[in-house]
Amino acid sequence: MVQIEELLGRKRLSFAFEEGDRGTHPIGLVEPSPCTRACPAGVNVKAYVSLIATGRFHEALEVVRQRNPLPGICGRVCTHPCEAVCNLGEIDSPVAVCWLKRFVADYELAHPQAIPEPISRTRKEKVAIVGSGPAGLTAANDLVRLGFGVTVFEALPVAGGMLVAGIPAYRLPRDIVETEIAAIEHLGVEIKTNKPISGEKAIDQLFDGGYSAVFLAIGAHKGLKLGVPGEDEFKGIIDCITFLNEVNLSKGKKPGDKVIVIGGGSSAVDSARTALRLGSDEVYIVYRRSRKEMPAHEAEISAAEQEGVKLHYLAAPVNILGENGKVTGMECQKMKLGKPDSSGRRRPVPIEGSEFVVQADTIITAISQGPDLTNLPGDQGVELTRWNTFAAEEESMATSRPGVFAGGDAVTGPSTVIDAIAAGHVAARSIVRYLNGDPLVQAEIRGEPLESEIKVDQKQREHKKRTSMPMLKVSTRINSFDEVDLGFKETQAVAEAQRCLRCGPCSECFICVPECDKITAILTSPEKQGECIFRLPHELLPSISGDGPADAAVQAGAKKTIPFQVTPVIPWVREDLCRGCADCVDVCEHMAVTLISKEPALSSNEGEYISVANVNSDICRGCGTCVAVCSTGAMTPGYYSGDWLPGRLATLVPGKKNIVVFACHWNGSHPDDEAIQNIGGNGTHIEVIHTMCSGRISPGLVFQAFELGADGVLLTGCSPDNCHYGFGAKQAHNTYGTIEQLIHLVGIEPERIAFQHVSDSNTAAFLDVVSEFVQNVEKPKPRPAKSRKVLVQ
Amino acid sequence: MVETIEIEEQIKHTNAYACLECGKCTSVCPISRYSRRYSPRILLNQALKNDYDDLFQDYDLWSCLTCGKCDEVCPSGIHYIDLTQILRSSALAEGFNGKCSHAGALQSLSRIMTGEQLRQNRLEWVADDMQTAAEGDILYFVGCAPYFDVLFSDLDISTLEAAESSIRLLNRLDITPVLMTDERCCGHDLLWNGDVENFKRLAEHNLKEIEKTGAKTILFSCAECLSGFKNLYTDYGFSVKAELKHMSQFLAEKLAAGELQLTADDTNVTFQDPCRLGRHLGIYDEPRQVLTNSTAQPAGSTNHFHDMKETGKRSLCCGVSAWMNCDLTSKTIQTERLRQAHDTGAEVLAVACPKCQIHLTCTMKDKAVSEKYGVRVRDIAAITLERMA
Repeated sequence: MVQIEELLGRKRLSFAFEEGDRGTHPIGLVEPSPCTRACPAGVNVKAYVSLIATGRFHEALEVVRQRNPLPGICGRVCTHPCEAVCNLGEIDSPVAVCWLKRFVADYELAHPQAIPEPISRTRKEKVAIVGSGPAGLTAANDLVRLGFGVTVFEALPVAGGMLVAGIPAYRLPRDIVETEIAAIEHLGVEIKTNKPISGEKAIDQLFDGGYSAVFLAIGAHKGLKLGVPGEDEFKGIIDCITFLNEVNLSKGKKPGDKVIVIGGGSSAVDSARTALRLGSDEVYIVYRRSRKEMPAHEAEISAAEQEGVKLHYLAAPVNILGENGKVTGMECQKMKLGKPDSSGRRRPVPIEGSEFVVQADTIITAISQGPDLTNLPGDQGVELTRWNTFAAEEESMATSRPGVFAGGDAVTGPSTVIDAIAAGHVAARSIVRYLNGDPLVQAEIRGEPLESEIKVDQKQREHKKRTSMPMLKVSTRINSFDEVDLGFKETQAVAEAQRCLRCGPCSECFICVPECDKITAILTSPEKQGECIFRLPHELLPSISGDGPADAAVQAGAKKTIPFQVTPVIPWVREDLCRGCADCVDVCEHMAVTLISKEPALSSNEGEYISVANVNSDICRGCGTCVAVCSTGAMTPGYYSGDWLPGRLATLVPGKKNIVVFACHWNGSHPDDEAIQNIGGNGTHIEVIHTMCSGRISPGLVFQAFELGADGVLLTGCSPDNCHYGFGAKQAHNTYGTIEQLIHLVGIEPERIAFQHVSDSNTAAFLDVVSEFVQNVEKPKPRPAKSRKVLVQ
Repeated sequence: MVETIEIEEQIKHTNAYACLECGKCTSVCPISRYSRRYSPRILLNQALKNDYDDLFQDYDLWSCLTCGKCDEVCPSGIHYIDLTQILRSSALAEGFNGKCSHAGALQSLSRIMTGEQLRQNRLEWVADDMQTAAEGDILYFVGCAPYFDVLFSDLDISTLEAAESSIRLLNRLDITPVLMTDERCCGHDLLWNGDVENFKRLAEHNLKEIEKTGAKTILFSCAECLSGFKNLYTDYGFSVKAELKHMSQFLAEKLAAGELQLTADDTNVTFQDPCRLGRHLGIYDEPRQVLTNSTAQPAGSTNHFHDMKETGKRSLCCGVSAWMNCDLTSKTIQTERLRQAHDTGAEVLAVACPKCQIHLTCTMKDKAVSEKYGVRVRDIAAITLERMA
């Protein structure tokens, strides 16, 4: 057997499969897209974006939930590292991945699905999780799904940790948090609020109380001190966590008329915007570096500015001023940026003699936070770092005490929700290993993001602009805590998802798994994540066996198990046939095909160069539309070669009404043979030929079908706005226009050709359109007295 | 195993056994010029060694343009292109084929046109102001231009312009030409593709239809159709009673008779000799006479007409034949031809065959070519109509 890896330089899987089973051959390959690799929690970003692009919102949400139990929350507050590596960002701006996630979560709220059954307990061990923030919730969710008993202890009166105590409701509405936590509880997680774990023997008591492992995910709720004179002297200084907690958990009141917030992170910006909403007249953020270095997300900073928050960059507090025990202002010093420090940001350096005073009646400090260890005094057997965070192994989240794990902000200091979720996954995995008595081996090692190979000439290319987020009017939002971002409408979400380049050939969404019921060749084990599968049409088979479609074994439907290696669906370019006409480049809206300049091997004239098409296999998704428009056959399809058509049509039955159906394999076109043949009864033979997309169809295929004996040719595909590939169906429409004109010219009756939409994997609808077409084709058409021999090109 | 005796018998008629292995054929072959692996001399030798099994599977069996340059120079008078045709029909019968361009759409359409009961709608392009008839002395054979214009709509040319211009020219000369509603593909391409059976069927159908019209003269804009009727139909035993002329011949006659008056035009023009019109039929002077508005023996260069470096019998072909094996070699030939046209300073490259027009225009889809050697490719009848006084 040819080693295709070596031949084509791509990794592939091998399967054993039964020859003769139609439409059930899988394809696998290994290479997650950059966005998927960038997600700390390992969410398969490309998969759910792809599903949204085709309107499969519930399935998309399921894909998110495989690795992220808080989609509606992350869809609002995630810092989305996936967008930072998005290849589309190099062309214009990245796909709005975060907002798409929010959309599917919101969609489910509006279109509720059956609630999943609680998970039954299969393990006797109970795990105690301290803290109900994203880290604790994720670990609880993972563990309960594996059958463990899970209790979450929460010191505050509500669950959610920093999600509810820190993040204001205008960014993250409380009902969203409540719903997602309720879903986790529904699975069987017990969450005890107002239940701080406290005392010198707090952790001992958990073990004594029957818990076999403990996960400390208490977050970082203690504001750090500024360390400047006057800080403890005057009233009117408050740290941001205390401030936000008060506002978020009870009804906050206006902190003051003129407020200074010190710091540049999310908490600082949240505090400033909250103060405005509570009625403060003037709110300043004072930050010691420049705007570029602010850890808060740019969108939050600009929203704050729109609302009226003023920013002082390159200024640091040196002295708090006050009168009569109350704050009156703050003396600051101007800074300049020096060399980068260990965080990679440029270190602020004070400018001598640049001191100035800002008047204020309230100062909110938001410089950083650490874990609040008030409830866990003394030696709990768990080592701390010099920053008073828990010392935990990065790969396993194990602390110095066996059975005790720690993660999230309590280990890292203030960080992001998605990092906390990632830590929750690691901790849960380690806890399972600990309870199984397995060594706490390394957690999943994530590879570096793929280096982008996209080279697109922006001048030549137009790309749809990123969909902007509809927002509440500034005048409305500064007076309330209503959510500012309004979320995408369905059409906006689909349009945005369709911008995705789908880097890497398969989206690995795994929704093919339930479809592949005949052959269990699809790998679904969590250890095999990243290995993805595609259901491929029957036509794949001959390309592997090399015997051509007329291979007797296939014709006879013989069943034998043979080792099977799968070619990718990616087409490749035969450079000796390519004429550089750019038809393929023009048609591929994924921008997977480009022209490259080559020194010709043939020309006699110096200084001449030629253009040759080149397929970027990281972007190409294998729809085959470029193959259909290639006039010379240089674009060689990865899975359906037109050269196989004569072999397929050799099965047409003389004397019967022969109907050839070209079917996009996405649209429910896989009924069993019997259902298809039943449509026409005895006098009709229906041959269904699958392509990945209707865009693969060319006039040549259709006329070959007529020439070789078809009485009617039906093309089925998705509607252009529902195409899995975004543009294939549109091209199919153009092609069909050409075919119609030619059919008219040559005098074949119009009833003998049709193009019908079938969408949403609807097999019944597919059978209906085939049935209707078969009825329309009345009787065998006149055709050459003698049909020609089957040709092999 | 291939039936060797029968092929050998056919090959004898091509004179192939007289080969001296001098290699002149390869030295003039445009494919060999740009494709190192292709050599007519070696291919012929393979055929003489009865090495058919390998030969039939060889991509290059289908590469020959049948442009006839080799036949022009062969000292032994071998008909190499006929040998090619014989080998191809044997190969096709064995189930082999060349790499058909456009996914075989054109071959399929030609074969579909053999259907007896087919009712084509191929004359819808005829405008109301054109005078045409169903019967008469002069018949204009349209060819497959209506199909080409649909399939090649992306090329921004109209091959039907040749037909439209021809009808208008004829009308202006007080001629009402016959157009056939049930004209079929002439079969030229199928024959060179090796499909003799369907070629014959098309020939038979066309001749039967022509008979009905009573035409005494048949005019063609397509050099391939003309060579199909004049050479191939006769070669395969069909008798064509009518006189057969290319539009350029007809126009040259009218010019000489003083019936056609053309105005001066200062557009710089050059001319692409179609291999079918030139080397296959020996028609070189008439298109040049029409383009230079002169009845004299063409001089190769006048004020606004300049011949290309390789011209007349030495003319370089348009790079693809019978919609097969269109590849990088084809493109390189075409690019070279466009470079030669560009070197003459021509703004318009006049053609006398829609295939030349399609293939040379198609090459310019590569911007690297069009930016350097871009030229307008137009049919000779269309140019003439514009110059008509």
